[in-house]
Amino acid sequence: MASAAGHATIIRDWGSDVTTFKGVPWGKAMMWIFLLSDTFIFSCFLTAYMTVRTTTAEPWPNASEVFSLTVLGQSVPLLLIAIMTFDLITSSGTMAMAVNYGYRRDKKKAVRLILATAFFGFVFVSMQAFEWYKLISEGVRPFKNNWGAEQFGACFFMITGFHGLHVSAGVAYLLIIAHRVHKGKYDHTNYEIIEIVGLYWHFVDLVWVFIFAFFYLW
Amino acid sequence: MSSEVGQQHPLSIYFAVWVGLFIVSGLSYATDFLQDGLMRWGLILLFMFVKAGYIVAIFMHLKYERWALIYALLLPPGALLVLVGLMWMESDYTWLTRIEYFGEDPYAVAKPVVH
Amino acid sequence: MAQAEIPYQEAMPLHDPHSWVTKYWYSQDHKVIAVQYGITAMAVGLLALVLSWIMRLQIGWPGVFGIEPALYYQSFTMHGMIMVIYLLTAFLLGSFGNYLVPLMLGARDMVFPFVNMISYHVYLLSVIILLAGYFVPGGVTGAGWTLYPPQAILTGTPGADWGIASMLLSLAVFIVAFTMGGLNYVTTILQARTRGMTLMRMPLSIWGIFAATVLGLLAFPALFVSAVMMLLDNFVGTSFFMPAISSALEGGMAGGMIEGTDAYEGGSPLLFQHLFWFFGHPEVYIVALPAFGVVSDLISVHARKNIFGYRLMVWAIVAIGVLSFIVWAHHMYVAGMHPYFGFFFATTTLVIAVPTAIKVYNWTLTLWRANIRFTVPMLFAIAFVITFVVGGLTGLFLGNVIVDVPLSDTYFVVAHFHMVMGVAPILVIFGGIYHWYPKITGRMLNDTLGRLHFWFTFLGTYAIYFPMHYLGFVGVPRRYYDHGTTSAFYPESAQFLDKGISVAAFIVGAAQFLFIANLVVSYFRGKPAGDNPWEATSLEWRTPQTPPVHGNWGDKLPTVHRWAYDFSVPGAEQDFIPQDVPREGADGKPQEKGAVAS
Repeated sequence: MASAAGHATIIRDWGSDVTTFKGVPWGKAMMWIFLLSDTFIFSCFLTAYMTVRTTTAEPWPNASEVFSLTVLGQSVPLLLIAIMTFDLITSSGTMAMAVNYGYRRDKKKAVRLILATAFFGFVFVSMQAFEWYKLISEGVRPFKNNWGAEQFGACFFMITGFHGLHVSAGVAYLLIIAHRVHKGKYDHTNYEIIEIVGLYWHFVDLVWVFIFAFFYLW
Repeated sequence: MSSEVGQQHPLSIYFAVWVGLFIVSGLSYATDFLQDGLMRWGLILLFMFVKAGYIVAIFMHLKYERWALIYALLLPPGALLVLVGLMWMESDYTWLTRIEYFGEDPYAVAKPVVH
Repeated sequence: MAQAEIPYQEAMPLHDPHSWVTKYWYSQDHKVIAVQYGITAMAVGLLALVLSWIMRLQIGWPGVFGIEPALYYQSFTMHGMIMVIYLLTAFLLGSFGNYLVPLMLGARDMVFPFVNMISYHVYLLSVIILLAGYFVPGGVTGAGWTLYPPQAILTGTPGADWGIASMLLSLAVFIVAFTMGGLNYVTTILQARTRGMTLMRMPLSIWGIFAATVLGLLAFPALFVSAVMMLLDNFVGTSFFMPAISSALEGGMAGGMIEGTDAYEGGSPLLFQHLFWFFGHPEVYIVALPAFGVVSDLISVHARKNIFGYRLMVWAIVAIGVLSFIVWAHHMYVAGMHPYFGFFFATTTLVIAVPTAIKVYNWTLTLWRANIRFTVPMLFAIAFVITFVVGGLTGLFLGNVIVDVPLSDTYFVVAHFHMVMGVAPILVIFGGIYHWYPKITGRMLNDTLGRLHFWFTFLGTYAIYFPMHYLGFVGVPRRYYDHGTTSAFYPESAQFLDKGISVAAFIVGAAQFLFIANLVVSYFRGKPAGDNPWEATSLEWRTPQTPPVHGNWGDKLPTVHRWAYDFSVPGAEQDFIPQDVPREGADGKPQEKGAVAS
């Protein structure tokens, strides 16, 4: 328990037998450690992006202009990206509630909320596909664009692509888990599987927070 | 304590965080309209870390885990800070040598975007 | 917290193999997977050995055997990559890790046996992709195992079209396999120990494997990322690592497939080097730490003495693991990086000598006045300590920028890293195999053959690598195709030594077939080993059956009462007390209390 008094438990937990993370199921421990490893993957991608961007002597295209949408004759910067951000946060919210309902053993609500999460995830990927389509039609390629340093396109497609792959995999994972929960495969457990898939999903959202700040706002 | 009693928290906390994330994301988006500078970058990073903190602490329940797990997860990324910091210096230096030897215009501005 | 009292493993359902295929091929038993990993790693290791012969033929007698430059470059590239990744990493973690983690911790199996099984098969796939490079147009890559761009993907380098692709793809697949296995090891060590097994009672082998796996999970991502980016540079035409000047070179882009990709511009080759070594230096310790751990156990068991300074040994492993993430650019002193970095990285590099030296002192002090049994595993363990000291000391030379500048890219470097992370861990692997083979098969390896194998290997590797230090000092550059006929500036002595080294290399290589023969013959004809031939204390020697059956422990998991190093305890009947023997209180009755291992 994360409190000052809980601090004393660190040594006790790490010094104990059987389990180090008390009360953490195997699957959850494994997912956390995987996410730690995945953090390093995304961080290396972002560090590489930072490096090529700082290194290049060519000017970097202005993301705010590149990713603007024209609404009612007005150019609104980063509109689509903002919508995608809100969409992903919403999916995180439904996911958190699914976890909660799972632990309350309200299977029906939990499954519905997982499906809602998967839906929002799907919407996110679709919007990303639209964004890719728009950029490609404007001549942005991994090896060139019309505005400045060619690494702009390379970093954009690589980083959002890798994130998009994570989202797509997450949608598939959510659907599989929803199906299995619905079939009653986890009825004998605490439904901690929902928390595990939830951890993955929140992580995808977390990565987006960093991509949003570093790629779109920089 | 943790999942053995099933992460029982009132739903209200999720709604609160949810709304909080919306607001901070909105603010984060709003920084795009600010002048470039330290102020803008401070805000971007601030909002980024607030959002990340909310997600990790509440949505991923890390706040409710035991310290043994929290530390095991939060300390290793320190290695990344070293990487990021050093690569920041390194890329700056590479850029400097490029300007020095190839003499390109260091203040060139990207071509305006026409959709 | 009722769950903490009862290990989940007690009631863990084990998959029940019915056919040969599920028992030996798609097995979920960690012991079978360990042997699969071991055999595969040894098979590719033998290939790498043959590749080193090709190199030595060319270096010793330039031009005589008709070895083309491309073949030479491809051979040392594949030799390096196979040895580091597909043999050492896969063997120490995939094989030793898989076999020892559940057994030494008193677990029935890894926490997710199915994932563990997939891990091996993905590893096998990565090996197949790697070797497929030999059958693509242009053959395997000849870029050197560090795969530095721009040259790795520019025309003129062997295998710049498809060979490099098979290499990078294979590495990415290997990382997936490693991640699946590694998550299993870490989770098993942290969450599935038996009763009484605290972290500070774990044998040092497990500590080494644990730390190395954590390093792997955090360091391999950097390699994964650089592999993805280089694949993009090669096939999609991005310029992450490729500066404009590389387009100006003759030939230009090698693998670009998309029409309209114009020239490379503005990429940073230094970025690749940083990412590569951000992985590459921890990788050195991914190989070294399990070796440290295993050798500690070998020394303690065969010296009949508790390991000296157990806690310090643990903390040294942890400290080395942490430090390994902030020393990476000492591989890049001559790369043209930021001028201040030399100071920073030289300092951190030399700091790492402290925990390493602690370990060497503790091994030596364990041997001090011990009742040493010079068994074959012990010979290899002692040879490791000596070799590691030699390799470590030259590391001090190379860690200093000023000394490194003239020595870098010479044979001094080759000698250094072969001693410290080539020969040393291999000696531990041999020692470990001689030590645990009786547990794995129930039969002893032949002692005479073992001793022959040891002396050939130990003396032979010194015959190979000692002269290389001299070659480095006189300035012989590494990776050069031709040391003699066309390059008359090499001193006579260097050319003579090159021949001598080559002869030694053939002998050492051939001696390894003694070992293979020993493994095979002893499997059928070896002396029956019994349950605990070395009179060791750790849990793997306490299984009800030898070799252990699926599930390891019968109905009930063992309970641990003491650390793994109760050798020659004063007043005890035997000179070893296994970990699951209860401790006796002052009244002579078994005592349950006392979580402190000492």
